[in-house]
Amino acid sequence: MSFEQIIVSGNGDSLEEQELSLLETLDHVLNRGLVIAGEITIAVADIDLIFLGLNVMLSSVETAQQVLRERQKKSE
Amino acid sequence: MKLYVYCLVDNTQTLPESLHGILGVLVRRLEIGDFSFLVSDFSDRTVPVTRENALAHAAVIQSVLKETTPLPFRFGTLVNGQQLENYVSARSEALRSKLEQVRGCVEMNVKIISDRDWMEEPQASETQAKPGTAFLSEKRREILGGEARAARAKQVAEWLKDQVAPVAKQTQIETLPTGKMLVTAAHLIEYERVEEFRKRVTEARHQRVDLHFLLSGPWAPYSFAHMDLEFETHFGVS
Repeated sequence: MSFEQIIVSGNGDSLEEQELSLLETLDHVLNRGLVIAGEITIAVADIDLIFLGLNVMLSSVETAQQVLRERQKKSE
Repeated sequence: MKLYVYCLVDNTQTLPESLHGILGVLVRRLEIGDFSFLVSDFSDRTVPVTRENALAHAAVIQSVLKETTPLPFRFGTLVNGQQLENYVSARSEALRSKLEQVRGCVEMNVKIISDRDWMEEPQASETQAKPGTAFLSEKRREILGGEARAARAKQVAEWLKDQVAPVAKQTQIETLPTGKMLVTAAHLIEYERVEEFRKRVTEARHQRVDLHFLLSGPWAPYSFAHMDLEFETHFGVS
């Protein structure tokens, strides 16, 4: 099988869909996975990205809706 | 010098060579007991959360996923060698069991979004009511809307679970209390059943045209790497 990651909501070639893929990646690496208690030591290097990380679910929805709206416009 | 930790695998596994991780540093294999950790040297005290670093972390884990199923660590895990040894000695049974549980599997995620506005429009009599009455009516509509949304989210979660049950080895479904996203679900799927899973989700989407679906994967089993023991340690119970 292929291990290329996919986002089914689109064909992956627009900027918005690349952004969606990034948000999904952030959701996984920032919020999930094994933790060695007390050893997560991240720094606020980019305020926007931290905000994005903490609100990644909401951001994903907004981006997803933007992609869906664009696709609907194209089909009209 | 600290170690940045990406993931854990059985030490019998063949792993990709010449991997580069955070800040472009070469990733190496550190064997402790029955396990191998993929780590890279890290000289700072904290890991900046940048797009590049987050993607580098994910890319190392994704490369390993092509060879075997790793247990991923959360972004920003910095330890020294002694801490890693203590971690293994305290949790070797739990780690072995967790690796066995995810062996040969990947994680597939589904998020379900609804555009619907859950608050009903006020009736004509409510719009003409005195301010106090109008306020209470607004609150009532908010509460009823929230209840309707929660009931729908629960129903959608159960429906999704049924749709993918034949192919999902494990499922974690969460209904979200507010916002447009109703449900977020992580599924543990055997390698050879990923296409079947995708097909089932695609068929399910066609049944519910009122909802938007976001399917992503395959991922390493990030959502299934959690161990209760870690929470106990965090709160000083164990």
